[in-house]
Amino acid sequence: MMTSVKPSFTQSASTNILLAVVVIAWLSPLSWLLMTSVNPNASGGFVVPTSFTLDHFVTVMSGTSLRQFLNSLFIAFTSATLTAILAAFAAYPFSRLNIPYKNTILWSLALLRILPQTAIIIPVFLTGRALGLLNTGGVILVLTLMNLPFAILLLKNFFDTIPSELEEASYMEGATLYQTLAHVVFPLSRAGLAVIWFMAFTTAWNEFLFPFLMLRSDQAFPMAIGLYAAFGQYGATDYGFLTSYSIIYTAPAIFVYFLLKRNLTTGFAGVGVKG
Amino acid sequence: MISTSHVWLRRSAKPMAIAAIPAVLFILLFIFYAGWTIWTSFTDLSLLGRKSINPSFVGFDNYIRLITRDGFLQSVWTTTVFTFFSAIVGQCGIGLLLAIIMKSSRFRLKSFVEFAILFGWLAPDVVAAFMWNAFASSDGMINVIILQPLGFESVNLLNEYAIEVVIISNIWKGTAWSYLLFSAALDTVSREVIEAAYMDGANALQRLRHVLLPLLRAQIATNLLFVTIWTYAFFSLIYALTGGGPGRETEVLSIYMYKQAFDVGKLGYGSAVAIAMMLIVGGLSIFYVRQNKDQTR
Repeated sequence: MMTSVKPSFTQSASTNILLAVVVIAWLSPLSWLLMTSVNPNASGGFVVPTSFTLDHFVTVMSGTSLRQFLNSLFIAFTSATLTAILAAFAAYPFSRLNIPYKNTILWSLALLRILPQTAIIIPVFLTGRALGLLNTGGVILVLTLMNLPFAILLLKNFFDTIPSELEEASYMEGATLYQTLAHVVFPLSRAGLAVIWFMAFTTAWNEFLFPFLMLRSDQAFPMAIGLYAAFGQYGATDYGFLTSYSIIYTAPAIFVYFLLKRNLTTGFAGVGVKG
Repeated sequence: MISTSHVWLRRSAKPMAIAAIPAVLFILLFIFYAGWTIWTSFTDLSLLGRKSINPSFVGFDNYIRLITRDGFLQSVWTTTVFTFFSAIVGQCGIGLLLAIIMKSSRFRLKSFVEFAILFGWLAPDVVAAFMWNAFASSDGMINVIILQPLGFESVNLLNEYAIEVVIISNIWKGTAWSYLLFSAALDTVSREVIEAAYMDGANALQRLRHVLLPLLRAQIATNLLFVTIWTYAFFSLIYALTGGGPGRETEVLSIYMYKQAFDVGKLGYGSAVAIAMMLIVGGLSIFYVRQNKDQTR
């Protein structure tokens, strides 16, 4: 924007060179990942593969690592669904009813959102140990706990954009609360719910600290801990396996982002006002 | 008490309030946990042994220990250095610069550049840690394609330059967030303003300093606040990459807290570290918000 008014040749050439440097700096890690994952003689160096194999991916999709993939999927899916349901049931009354100290509550939700995980990790561990919840179920509950404040905040703002006249009309027609919710409110807030769900899913999918603290066996690990346990200090590193593992672990996060991106633009802008 | 202006909702208020109860309980539990951490920080609770069942109240002992022993203060310094260079200079600075350049450039690979930056952001922390661990090793990419051609001997960068590697990897990871935010902010700046400045003879640097930066002040301040808060409490990337080592060179506060609580087993002292972290982050937020208010007044 600064240079766009009338870019001289040297100016546009220098920005191009700068951008090229950026591309190389950011993409060489990605290209290393891709090249190594299909190289039968994978190593830590930057080697262009001379032959091609998908064996590493096949290895990842079997045995313990497949188990860890499914664990991640289960944890992220359950916690995202739980977050979305709980948040929807709390955010709707929050948006429609006059609750005392509404602003204070809004602010405390925002504050909880920026609270570092370390601030609650010790009580989480103590209750988990006392109640026998140092397992997948416990991890799901903690992740839901961590995601909930922000989810309620976002959904409340989303419900605020839906005109309440629609619900009023449905009441006039004789619909019960349940019918109004099921046929008017939730269909209109699909986009908002989708955003909440996907955000909670990605957060849970990426989470490291809580499963690291709460899970002990490699059969129970999600992919974050599985990957961490597999690289590092002990002996030779199997780069082919680890790069394939990384790609499979990263793919859903990227997929969800592009899904979410479309939802954000078409969903948030259009839905709700149309009615 | 709970009331509503909508006639149709008056009858439904009760079931709606009941449906909200589970979420309210979760939120209360969250707040209760934070209070619990404050309570343990005044005790000598430990992970194992007699003190795990029967902790005693020790007053401000844990907090005095924070200041009198150098572990904590050293971690505060490490975290501050890490946050300043990776979040404020790196993510925020590079993100802003990139957003400005990308807006004006007609570079053909623009969407490619965007995807490249986004990839760093979307990759899970542990994947980023694994990749940078591999690049920084003595036969890794940085050594093979940069240092060796320049005539340097190959070194294990994670031993020799750990904090630098951690900072660079976090810049690689987090710049996309700032870039996206500034990119969206730049869309709101009208072209005429920039063109007027150009007509008045302002050069690129002057346009940046006197036109663009003042216009974007609010967004920059907000972004600095977020990025600082997140980076100050960041755990996973650094822990998975270096584990806080070599020695204690990259032991940021969150790692220090984790190790004191769960490796050493001093839960009371670990709680005090966590509370101190919370206070630092809170203090920084207030500082940023104040600063922003004063400037816009």
